[in-house]
Amino acid sequence: MSAKPAHNELERETGYGTDLWRVIAAPVVWALHFLFCYVYGAVYCAKAGRDAPLDQPTIVVIVASLVALALIGLSTLQIWRVRARSLTDNDFEFEHNTPEERHRFLSHVALMLCVLSAVAVIYVTIPMLYLSTCR
Amino acid sequence: MTDTAAQEQRLAKAWARPKGWAYFSDVNNSVIGIWYISAAFAFMLFGGVLALIIRTQLAVPNNNLVSAETYNQLFTLHGTVMMFLFAVPIFEAVAILILPAMLGARDLPFPRLSAFGFWCFLIGGVFVCGSIFFNAAPDAGWFMYPPLSTEQGGIGADIWLLGLSFIEVASIAAAVELIVGVLKCRAPGMHINLTPAYGWYVLVVGAMILFAFPPLIAGDFLFEMERAFDWPFFDVTRGGDPLLWQHLFWIFGHPEVYIIFLPSIALLAMIIPTFAQRPLAGYSWIVLSAIGTGFLSFGLWVHHMFTTGLPSISLGFFSAASEAVAIPTGIQLFVFIATVMLGNVVRTVPMLYCLGALATFIVGGLTGVMLAVAPFDFQAHDSYFVVAHLHYTLIGGMLFPVIAGVQYYYPFATGKLLSRKLGIWSFWLSFIGFNVTFLPMHLTGLLGMPRRIFTYGALRQWGDLNLLSTVGAFIFAAGFLLFVWDCVRPKSSEPNAPRNVWKAGTLEWAGKVPADDWGLRSIPQIDSRYPIWDDKTLLATIDEGKGLLADAKEGRRETLVTSVLDAEPTQVLRVGTPTWLPMLAAIGLGGAFIFPVWKLWWPTLGSALFFLAVVLCWLWTGTAEIPEKQTKDIGDGRRVPLYVAGPQSTGWWAMFITMTGDLTAFLAVLFGYFFFWTIHPDFPPIGIDGPGWQWPMVAAGLAVVTWMATLGARLTNAAGQVTLSRGLLVTGIIAAALTGVALMAGPWTTGLDPTAHSYPAIVWGLVVWIVLHLMAGMIMQAYALARSIFGKLTPRHDADLWNVTLYWHFTGVCALLTALVIGGFPLLQ
Repeated sequence: MSAKPAHNELERETGYGTDLWRVIAAPVVWALHFLFCYVYGAVYCAKAGRDAPLDQPTIVVIVASLVALALIGLSTLQIWRVRARSLTDNDFEFEHNTPEERHRFLSHVALMLCVLSAVAVIYVTIPMLYLSTCR
Repeated sequence: MTDTAAQEQRLAKAWARPKGWAYFSDVNNSVIGIWYISAAFAFMLFGGVLALIIRTQLAVPNNNLVSAETYNQLFTLHGTVMMFLFAVPIFEAVAILILPAMLGARDLPFPRLSAFGFWCFLIGGVFVCGSIFFNAAPDAGWFMYPPLSTEQGGIGADIWLLGLSFIEVASIAAAVELIVGVLKCRAPGMHINLTPAYGWYVLVVGAMILFAFPPLIAGDFLFEMERAFDWPFFDVTRGGDPLLWQHLFWIFGHPEVYIIFLPSIALLAMIIPTFAQRPLAGYSWIVLSAIGTGFLSFGLWVHHMFTTGLPSISLGFFSAASEAVAIPTGIQLFVFIATVMLGNVVRTVPMLYCLGALATFIVGGLTGVMLAVAPFDFQAHDSYFVVAHLHYTLIGGMLFPVIAGVQYYYPFATGKLLSRKLGIWSFWLSFIGFNVTFLPMHLTGLLGMPRRIFTYGALRQWGDLNLLSTVGAFIFAAGFLLFVWDCVRPKSSEPNAPRNVWKAGTLEWAGKVPADDWGLRSIPQIDSRYPIWDDKTLLATIDEGKGLLADAKEGRRETLVTSVLDAEPTQVLRVGTPTWLPMLAAIGLGGAFIFPVWKLWWPTLGSALFFLAVVLCWLWTGTAEIPEKQTKDIGDGRRVPLYVAGPQSTGWWAMFITMTGDLTAFLAVLFGYFFFWTIHPDFPPIGIDGPGWQWPMVAAGLAVVTWMATLGARLTNAAGQVTLSRGLLVTGIIAAALTGVALMAGPWTTGLDPTAHSYPAIVWGLVVWIVLHLMAGMIMQAYALARSIFGKLTPRHDADLWNVTLYWHFTGVCALLTALVIGGFPLLQ
């Protein structure tokens, strides 16, 4: 009845790092970045009027994006040391019944979410680079 | 009698279904799930009939089958029923039915809550649908835009607002139930990386419900205050703004699309591996994309508002996020296609529906990417192109997968198989009929036909395409009816389906046919993602009672609670038994939502009090019971506790989840305050003083006192100082009452008139919101006090107090924020 590791895998130090909260860290950064950009832009345009130039918001949004990307990068670095961190490794099934496998699995999901979140942050920044007024 | 036979007898007795009329008092997930699914499909058929009347009216130009007024009611109710009474509830229904078996649990942690949700859904649904027979149905479109819906007379809009708010209770209840179920009720050994993909989807969708539905509840609250008491939140002449409703509605409305889509696609994630006869290719990619879609879907709501004149920068952000969401959505589809390609596909009816769903959804997804581009949307907005797009996504992303799921899980639920021949016929009729109906609508839309018109002139050249769509609609309906007939036709003469009829690998198929009321004979240790495929001795282990909880010695319904990440057993949870209380509670709450439609305030109050009494009785007799012993032997030499409190317990998590949703609703009301700040050059408006800073600061101080007193009560109780703890609870109750008085004193003494302008209205709105929460909190404190006095809450057994304290953490923060905002923000201006 007790848990048996498949494929005679060695038990390894699991660590407590990657739990469910850690997995959603990068998308949370995206969400905060998105909310900030939208709220900031909307409030700026509501208060400054429709003809106002977007010079200042462009800088603010770019800075916010850099901060967001840095935070996502930090989150990525923390996962980087986990074994089998690769996106394309042969073994990305994560189907063994051990805490270590669970840890690697969550790290893998977290890593991919970092990539997705970074892409989404960049997407959201792009319109700001092309628009010049609040119109 | 042998040991095993005696065990089985005890299990059967504990899990026996109530007989006769008492059948309707049942709470077991397998019964509630089937009621729920049947009710949702019944509403769906009703919505389908409405659609056919719509299509018949539009078949030829200048048709006069129905009047414009009736037509408005038809399309409003069609959208409302399909979204709120079918698409969302069917997720809850299916999950309640299959999730426990999939996770190896005997039942979900709160079976009575599931029953309560079901009865709320049924009562609310009948109420909303029934209105059309009295010519009183809502008729302002399924998203109820003001000012049309606030200015019009009649009770249609009230029915929509109150009826659906009531039904949303069921959704929140299901979210609580399902999130706790996935996190805490998995079979031992089912690490989070071995959880079936369906479980992941349910987890993500449950969390999404907590952030998506509350803004709508908050919007409904503001909306109904405007309709019932003339508080001008959406009235431009008095400083309101209809766009606030659009924001609140679509903050709900767009994630809702994914709340519908993800659990349906989750069914594909279970069905496709079975018929490809191999594990899902890229399980972690599915998890990634479920979580990713869940997040990104909250950044899309403004794409429903591209033509409202928001600054182009706002449109840009949402357009970009709308394109980004295609990435995780696409990943899921590629995972399914890869699984099909890598496996040996067994040709079955569920598989047919899966492939049809993928094909249809891809078309809807591509037009979605087109519509996410703002300039294209400007052209296609509110045209039949949008109608075509949304039906492709919903039918490809929800209806076909759900039918695939019904086809697949029918033997699991009933023990009988559906007819293969009827299934193939119904699929092709539905699939062809659907495409004949909706593919031409892209063109009709591009030719300029707006949605929601009850007829059109012959010169418009829309006649042929509309006729084609109408013909398609009837073919589609024929296919669907064939499927319904297949499900309901009598099958008692047919043999039972063999056990695990599809040769699936996941745990829900380990059950016997016909199924036992208690679920699995014993709960096995899980070592892989597809235990039936990988562990050939699994079924024998289960059947011979060699797993855990093979007995019900005390005659109680029990299920295992395990740890979140690694699924180590942590508790034996005694779950609720059949009772009428959930149904009575739903009737009481229903009255409290339904009577206000006619402004019958006394019956409303009576219903609310009845609801309160029933809920207190339910909690008092059925929850946080002190067990006869501390731990229990669950087999395999393991002993786990019967009573846990705080973050270890399911009840604490349920409170946490509920209050997260409640906090979101509060933040949505608070968003209203700041929204009004952005649209007014002077805020507070010149000439309106109040609520001043003095009373709000007193309220803030008192809120902190209440909050700390409640926390102190828990800590002192745990330390054994019971008398001090009770004293603190009494202090808390008094301080909470004073908080409410102080909070109202601010706007009251400064003479803020909520009907005069949106500013006093939103200040009063926030105050009313908090006062209602303070009242609920006082009832909870009094309840904990009574439990302590009657010996049902002791220093060792203090789950109630943990939960009440948790409630006050949230309410304390909200009260404090409200006081600071209404008192402090005007000072900053």
